[in-house]
Amino acid sequence: MDIDALAGCLASPACLVTQTTSGLIIGMLLFLVAVGLTLIFGVLKVVNFSHGAFYMFGAYFAMTAYQLTDSFALAMLCGAAGTALLGLIFERVFMSRVYGADVLMQLLVCYAFVLIFDDVVRMIWGPEFKSMGMPSAFQVPPLFIAGGVVPPYYLLLIGVALAAALVLGLGLARTRIGKVIRAAAHNPGMVSALGINTGLLYGGVFALGGMLAGLGGALAAPVRSLTPGMGFSVLIESFIVTVIGGMGSILGALIGALLIGLIRSFGSLGFPLFTEGLMYLFMVIVLVSRPTGLFGKEVA
Amino acid sequence: MTELQADRASETLTTPRIETRSFRSRYRDILIALVAFAVLAALPFFFGSKALLDFVIRCSAFGLFATSLNLLVGYTGMISFGHGMFFGLGAYGFGLLMQRTGVPIPVAFVATLAITAVFAAIIGAICVRLKEIYFAFVTLAFQMLIHSTILTWASLTGGDQGLRGGIPRPVFFGIDLANHVHLYITSCALLVLGLLLMRQIAQSPFGYTLRMIRDNARRASFIGIDVWRAKLTIFVLAALFASTGGMVMALFVSGAYPEFAYWTISGEGIFINMLGGVTTFLGPMVGTVLLLILNDTVTRYTEYHGIVLGVVILFFAIGLRKGLMDYVLEWYAQRRDGPGERG
Amino acid sequence: MLDIRELSKSFGGVKATDNVSLDFADGSLTAVIGPNGAGKSTFFNLITGALRPDSGEVMLDGVDLAGKSPPEIVRHGIGRAFQVASIFPSLTVQETMLAAVCADQRRSTVLHRRFPLVETRDRAEHAMELLGLANKRHRTAATLSHGDQKLLDIALALVLDPKVLLLDEPTAGMGTEERWRMIDKVRELWETQKITVVFIEHDMDIVFKIAPRIVVLCYGRILATGTPDAIRRNDAVIEAYLGTEDHAEAVT
Repeated sequence: MDIDALAGCLASPACLVTQTTSGLIIGMLLFLVAVGLTLIFGVLKVVNFSHGAFYMFGAYFAMTAYQLTDSFALAMLCGAAGTALLGLIFERVFMSRVYGADVLMQLLVCYAFVLIFDDVVRMIWGPEFKSMGMPSAFQVPPLFIAGGVVPPYYLLLIGVALAAALVLGLGLARTRIGKVIRAAAHNPGMVSALGINTGLLYGGVFALGGMLAGLGGALAAPVRSLTPGMGFSVLIESFIVTVIGGMGSILGALIGALLIGLIRSFGSLGFPLFTEGLMYLFMVIVLVSRPTGLFGKEVA
Repeated sequence: MTELQADRASETLTTPRIETRSFRSRYRDILIALVAFAVLAALPFFFGSKALLDFVIRCSAFGLFATSLNLLVGYTGMISFGHGMFFGLGAYGFGLLMQRTGVPIPVAFVATLAITAVFAAIIGAICVRLKEIYFAFVTLAFQMLIHSTILTWASLTGGDQGLRGGIPRPVFFGIDLANHVHLYITSCALLVLGLLLMRQIAQSPFGYTLRMIRDNARRASFIGIDVWRAKLTIFVLAALFASTGGMVMALFVSGAYPEFAYWTISGEGIFINMLGGVTTFLGPMVGTVLLLILNDTVTRYTEYHGIVLGVVILFFAIGLRKGLMDYVLEWYAQRRDGPGERG
Repeated sequence: MLDIRELSKSFGGVKATDNVSLDFADGSLTAVIGPNGAGKSTFFNLITGALRPDSGEVMLDGVDLAGKSPPEIVRHGIGRAFQVASIFPSLTVQETMLAAVCADQRRSTVLHRRFPLVETRDRAEHAMELLGLANKRHRTAATLSHGDQKLLDIALALVLDPKVLLLDEPTAGMGTEERWRMIDKVRELWETQKITVVFIEHDMDIVFKIAPRIVVLCYGRILATGTPDAIRRNDAVIEAYLGTEDHAEAVT
């Protein structure tokens, strides 16, 4: 424990800026994964235990695309589009077979894919740590805000993630397809009664969730090391985010992700050995006081 | 099937013979346990193979763990994805007590159970109120918390290297666990005793309370059952058996490793239950043997055993939609009753 | 005696139960009727602890049960059966009864003995005989017919020896003939067991024929209470039911 370091940081604007930015990027990446998780749960009532794999594939796709084309934009696109396709296939071919079955079966199918996907990545890209490297466009001197160091890439990452959140929020609120998705989340029986192709809807939601997680992975690729197990640790943290925010709530996912991001970045100063523990502790406190999360609906 | 036939026979009598039924079922189980233990104990005298004995010891460790998980999953309908934390807790608790305090093995055994009970009671108190999917993932989160604590608290646990230097195994009651055959017999005894105790729990009035909660928790509360307390009780009891499995494992490898507390142990436990089937008491035991054989064979041929395991899981989850023992039982029932005649 | 005093519950501003006061004498048989959404099930849920009342008292023989948990309330002697038969699908009829008696005898946490316990036999047997389920004792509940599942649900409540038995639409989902068989059974149980029975019913023919006393709920409030004749002539009741066409003929 190092309370002095934490107090010292809170007193210094430079440190405050640095830690807040790093907290924000952790939070934003978590949000991109968690929002898919919460969306899929909201509409399909399935917890996609293998959702972390989309994040992992997004990162690997982006790395490969960047190495091949040397274009950062294409890398991001590949990461997002590739995982969207993967999500669609995964849902249509496998998950759609266990909707009627009990939770145990759903968990097992996802568990199987966690094992399979990790090994597939190991086969294609090898078991060792990989790194995409910072794209040349962002290899510029960092900005200094109030004395704190902020790499420009961090700003881009936060900006893209915020834009994704905004587009998603507006899309769900304003567009027809968004209304259908919200209706489906609210009342699953109603959608098929309205004559909407549920297969398409479910596949689409999985693809959307996969795409967001893949985008998260792609954005993370320049700043994180890539390894076959990277999806799972992100999944656990995103799950904590959705539990804190409330399953099925997008706003909850955003707030939860930012809280966890900040807890991690400031916690690592004050409690370097217990940073993860802080996260769990926070989750337990939320769950004990509000069993359905901060923005979760009371389930009768 | 004898129990079913006995039931059918009693139908013709005017009063059901409850006294004899419960009396008989208990002694039948004890008899089966004694015979099983005798067979297992006789094994070293016929087969000298160390690998076979090692296999049985590993089956004991994972069998205790998987069967205890079935008390939650199969009997109570609580899908815990973090049950492996108690396996890890058992291994580390026991290993640390032996290494640091030098108490006799039975004392360390009981003390580890006590520690597990305390942890399980605290974690259970938080988790058992939650609905199924929340329950699954919050137990998983606790598992990850314990795992990351083991990794970071390196001064106590050895971090990612695990507990090294071996676990001292002083002789007690003439049993020398450093001796391979002694260790083997002790593991078998713990397995058989553990299974017998869990069987007793499953067949006790409390076991039926658990079945009622699994079937319809709301109704159970309206006939006067305190659902929360019953769930917490079985959560703690199951943790004790999982912890025993962990201790057997710690004795076997003479150490403890972070993998023992990793979430994949829980995942494997769930899969073992699925593989063997959750509707029969011995299903998880069958699943344990199958999974260990599968693991051993697959790792011999390929380094990508995740893919093979994943495909096998998919086959059971999507193809059969039930465990092997469930499948066999249903097939057997259909064959006996003839098609179209289901009671 | 079950004495309900000024019981209220609202959901987000809508008063589902609005200041209801009622008493049920020992050994009485009462039907609760009312249009859909009148708050009949909410009323039962408040009495049995499924919902926590906002205010008011549920006095059973001088003990206030309001706000207590379902298990506590059951142990004080209020049993209930559900609109959709609430049973344990994988247990047999006999196991269900034996386990329920175990719970009532506070033996549901016994670990050192085997199920079933001898002490539970006679009561379980008695309940199965009463409901006519004895010859189906070895059937698993899931395989029973709809009617038998409803009977099993009632048996589950009855085997606990309640002072008061609340039946939420015992005839729900049944054909005409089956309805009458079920309601005869309910009446028979009331007569032989000497317990207080309160039941919710939609079929007006049944209500007016067998219930000595009727309570009419509407928008969470008591519209009227009284004998079948009094209810039949009550203007407020007629108006409430004329509002919802489907029951109009039944009342007049």
